[in-house]
Amino acid sequence: MPNSEHTSKQFDADLEDIRSRVLQMGGLVELQLTAAIEGLTTGSEEIIARVIETEHRVNDYEKEIDDACVHVVARRQPAASDLRMIMAVSKIVTDLERMGDEAEKIARMARSIYGRGALTIPRSIDVRQTGTKAALMLRRVLDALARLDTTEAEKVIAEGKLIDTEFRGIMRQLITFMMEDPRTITTALDIVWIAKSIERVGDHAENIAEQVIYIVDGIDIRHTGSPPVTPAGENI
Amino acid sequence: MMPVWFSLSLKFLFIGFVAVSVGLWLGATAGWAVACLGLALLHAVHVYQLARLQRWLQSPKVEYLPDPWGAWGEVFAGIYRALRYEARKHDAVDKELELFTQAAQALPDGIAMLDSGDQLLWCNDTAAAHLGLQTGRDYGLRLTNIVRVPRLAAFLQSASPEETLDYRPAHNAGQLLSFKAIPFSDGRKLLVSFDITKIERADTTRRDFIANVSHELRTPLTVIHGFLEHMSDAPVMPAEQARRHIALMVQQSDRMLKLVDDLLMLSRLEGGDSPQREERVDIAVLLQGLAEDTRALSAGRHTIELTVDDGAAITGSTDELRSAFGNLASNAVRYTPQGGTVALQWRIDEQHRGLFSVRDTGIGIAAEHIPRLTERFYRVDRGRSRETGGTGLGLAIVKHVLLRHQATLEIQSEPGEGSEFRIVFPPWRSVLEAPLAQADAA
Repeated sequence: MPNSEHTSKQFDADLEDIRSRVLQMGGLVELQLTAAIEGLTTGSEEIIARVIETEHRVNDYEKEIDDACVHVVARRQPAASDLRMIMAVSKIVTDLERMGDEAEKIARMARSIYGRGALTIPRSIDVRQTGTKAALMLRRVLDALARLDTTEAEKVIAEGKLIDTEFRGIMRQLITFMMEDPRTITTALDIVWIAKSIERVGDHAENIAEQVIYIVDGIDIRHTGSPPVTPAGENI
Repeated sequence: MMPVWFSLSLKFLFIGFVAVSVGLWLGATAGWAVACLGLALLHAVHVYQLARLQRWLQSPKVEYLPDPWGAWGEVFAGIYRALRYEARKHDAVDKELELFTQAAQALPDGIAMLDSGDQLLWCNDTAAAHLGLQTGRDYGLRLTNIVRVPRLAAFLQSASPEETLDYRPAHNAGQLLSFKAIPFSDGRKLLVSFDITKIERADTTRRDFIANVSHELRTPLTVIHGFLEHMSDAPVMPAEQARRHIALMVQQSDRMLKLVDDLLMLSRLEGGDSPQREERVDIAVLLQGLAEDTRALSAGRHTIELTVDDGAAITGSTDELRSAFGNLASNAVRYTPQGGTVALQWRIDEQHRGLFSVRDTGIGIAAEHIPRLTERFYRVDRGRSRETGGTGLGLAIVKHVLLRHQATLEIQSEPGEGSEFRIVFPPWRSVLEAPLAQADAA
């Protein structure tokens, strides 16, 4: 962290390096996610293939950063905010890796939908909008992590609820769709999976936001329902 | 300025003189006592001044500098002068730095200064907008932490002034930026960002234009080529059929000629800013001719009305204006079904602006097409335009002629009701109280 003093400059460099790599990994996951959504809307086989191919790089990042965390803990025995940082980072990395998996899943689903010869996808605009929103959430939470900005992190958590609402809306529309025309059921079920993946991405972004608050304030707000300062009536 | 040694020596001499005088008068013991007392007093004064100097040095501020007398006064005055000089130099350097910062801020391109670890040292507002940074707050953060594009990290690693990186910012997808990383003192980097959105768009427009021209020329050429091939395959052909084929080929080659003429006209219009020859354009004569041409084009299928107010003359280029007015009139005829009315009108309004309008009772234009009508090859209905013999360049020519005459084009249209195209000239182009026109009339 830039504002804490350590006797060893190397330690500072190691910590900053880990944070930097997490953010790089986040950037890659964000790209994967937007590409997967683009692949879903355009049906471009090239984009879909690239997303599936790049997935292993996200996994490589995860292993690398985990190793670096273990090294720092073993060699430097960090305390206080440094320890919080390391602990949070190893959790954030897991979240990011899962988001990467979800992006890959979306790409695979898109491939199977287009492979079946479907030209139009029911509710694809809603799905794309929600997906873009989830990608934006990821970008904002990564910004919050880079700037250690808890206000922004809290906003991201509040936004996660919007994605949940939109997910339920898509579900309802898909159900009416399937009831009207049973031939669309196969495709509609794939869309359900995609929507579920997007919703999971939103959840992971929320988890990361909680970790950002943990790094800065040292407060664990997981499973308490809402961030410490939330206007009343937010958790309906 | 009295040197310190001189003033001190004087004081010593004075004490010695007093001591010797007293010694001579009251005896040696009294003399020694006076000398000791004098020296002790002198010492005390100096210790006091030294103490003041030391106290002041703990927080040296020009305005709190002590102001003692005698030799110490000179010393303090010296310190004061030196400090003032330093402060002034500091101010000047500050001002210069501020000037440089403002200059960097005023640059139209984004500038971000990075240290050897890619940490942001400073950036101007343009760079902040390009990269999604917050000036001030993000200083000291690694740039790649905020702009998390894998390509950028690799690009900064291999910073060389020749390489550029094109990048669409995630927070503003409509923009295309080009980056240059220039290394300077001790591994620091200057990241320069240019907004190349417009250049890219111009590139696309140019490519589209070439594709459009080729397509427009190819269509009639295909027809001609087809007939020619047919004729070379079957040299003997009934005279009636041959005549029909030739007539079609003439029609298609006419179209090509018209297209090439329009293209040449456009490129000529684009060449300069204003008409090469400003002359007095007699609108009445011009419109009479135009009305006749329009009637010929309509061939009795429409009613053509012409109203020209008096004082009808402006300055401009007759040829260019004839072409612009003609394009509007022929459009009106071509898009108005049989039995409709095309009204050509010229008048000078209260603000002395010349107004030319063409109103028709034709098919009209939907609102969403109106802003794009003057684009080259923009067509509301491709098939219809070609079938009526349009090149797709008419309104583009009108737009350019009007630009050169500082005039504007106003379009009002209601689908199914008809359209009105109105040209508004600036007041200074109107030739008022035209004596020549009156003389002609008389």
